[in-house]
Amino acid sequence: MAWSKTLVLPFAGFCLQLATVAAEHGNHVEAAQQQGLPSAAPVIFHIGPLPVSNSMILTWVVSLLLVLAVRLGIRTMKDIPDGAQNFWEWLVEGLYDFLGAIIGAELVRKTFWFFASVFVFVVATNWFGLLPGVGTIGYGFAGEHGFHVTDPLLRGANADFNMTFAMSMVFFVLWTVWALQANGPIGFLKHIFGAKGGLGGFMGIVLMVVFFAVGLLEVVSILFRPVSLSFRLFGNVFAGENMLESMTHLGGAKLGWLTALPFYFMELLVGVVQALVFMLLTAVFTLLICSHDEEHAEDGSHH
Amino acid sequence: MSPLLFLAAADAGPVGEIAKTFGANVPALIANAISFVLVALIMKKWAIGPIQKTLEDRRASIAQGLADAGRAREELAVAHRKSQELLAETGAQTGRIIEESRAAAARVTEIETQKAIAAAADIIAKARHSNEAELTRLKAELRQEFGRLVVEASIKVTGKILTLDDQKRLAEETQRQIAA
Repeated sequence: MAWSKTLVLPFAGFCLQLATVAAEHGNHVEAAQQQGLPSAAPVIFHIGPLPVSNSMILTWVVSLLLVLAVRLGIRTMKDIPDGAQNFWEWLVEGLYDFLGAIIGAELVRKTFWFFASVFVFVVATNWFGLLPGVGTIGYGFAGEHGFHVTDPLLRGANADFNMTFAMSMVFFVLWTVWALQANGPIGFLKHIFGAKGGLGGFMGIVLMVVFFAVGLLEVVSILFRPVSLSFRLFGNVFAGENMLESMTHLGGAKLGWLTALPFYFMELLVGVVQALVFMLLTAVFTLLICSHDEEHAEDGSHH
Repeated sequence: MSPLLFLAAADAGPVGEIAKTFGANVPALIANAISFVLVALIMKKWAIGPIQKTLEDRRASIAQGLADAGRAREELAVAHRKSQELLAETGAQTGRIIEESRAAAARVTEIETQKAIAAAADIIAKARHSNEAELTRLKAELRQEFGRLVVEASIKVTGKILTLDDQKRLAEETQRQIAA
C-alpha cells in the first residue's frame, strides 16, 4: 500500500544513515556497548537507613512538581474552566469515562482515584525521564571519548525496580481491600476456589476438586501479579533508557542528538503506553475479583 | 504475600540474586511506596476529588437546566394551548355579541323605522287633513267671492239694484252651480 511505502522508505533510509554513522564512529559503538545503564539505580546518598538513589530523587522531584501543578492549576474550581483547570478536567473526565466503560460505573466510582493517580504519575515520571539532563548530569570521569557519567543525579523513576515494585505493592494491598469489600472473606475464597457451573452429584464433586486446583493456580497467579506488573514497567522504561543511551553514543559527540532523536519520540509514546498498560492491567485485575459470577454469566449471555 | 517473601528471600538463592541485580531493598521500596501513596492521596484530595465534584455538579446543573427547560417548554405549550382556547372562546363570544348586536340593531332599526313611518303617515294625514280643510275653506271663500262677483256683475250688467234677498239667492244659486 502507498501509505506503508511512504512510511517504510524514509525509515529504511534513516536506518541506512544510522548504519553509516555507526561505521564512521565504530569506536563509539564499542564504547556504547561497554557502557549501558546499571540495572540497579545508583545510590547517591543515605538518609539514615534509607539509600537515596537517583531514581528516588527524580520521583520526589516529579511528585513535588505534580503537587505544585495540581495546587497552582486548580486551587479554586471555576464553573467555566480555563487554563490548567481545563486540562485537568479533560484528563480526569477522559480517564473516568474510559475506565468506566471497562470496569463499570460502580467500581470506577470507588477506585478511580488510584488508577488516575497511577496513570498520571507513571506518565509524568516517564516523560520527565526524557528531559535533557536526566541521566547525563552527575558524577563520572573524563575518558578517552569525553566525560563519562557513571552516577547521574537523576534517572528515570520507573527505571528503578523499587519504584515499580512499590506501586505494584500498593496496588496489591488495595486490590486485597477492594476484593474483601466486594466479596467478604468467605466470598473472596469462594471466588477463587469455588466450583462454577452449579453441577451436583458426582460431577459436582469432581468439579470441586478441579476448581480447587484451579484456585491454587489462581493464587499463584495473583501473588505473582505485582512481580509481573513491576518488571513489565521497569523493563520497558529501563530498556528505553538504555536504547537512548546507546543511540546517543552511536552518533558520537556531534551527532549523538540526531541518532537518538527518533527514539525520543518513540519513548514519548512508550511512556504513555506503559502507563496505560499498568493502569488497565490493575483495573482489569480489580474488575476480575470484584465482579461476581452472575455478572460474568450475564455479560457472557450478551455476547 | 509473595512480594514480601520475594524481598525477605532477597539474601539467598536465585530470588536474592534477582533482587541484588535490580537493587531491590526494603527501605527504598517503603520510601517509594510512601512517595507514591502520598502523591496518590494528594491527587485524590486536591485534583481528582474536586474535579469529579465539579464535573458532577456541572452535570447536575446541566441536567437541572435541561429539566427546567423541558418543564418550561411544557408550561409554554400548556399556556399556548390555554391562550388558543381563550382566543377561540373570546372569538366565539365576540361573534355571538356581534350577532346579538346586529339583531338588536335590526330590531331597533325596525322599530324606529316603523315609528318613523307611523309619524310620517300621521304627518301626511295631518297635512292632508289640513290641506283639505284649507281647500274647503278656500273653496268656500272662492264660492262666496265668486257669488259676490256674480252679484256685482249682475248688478252692473242689469243696472238693477238687487235686494238683499235677491243678492243672497243669486249668490247661493251661483255657489250651488259651482259646487255641481
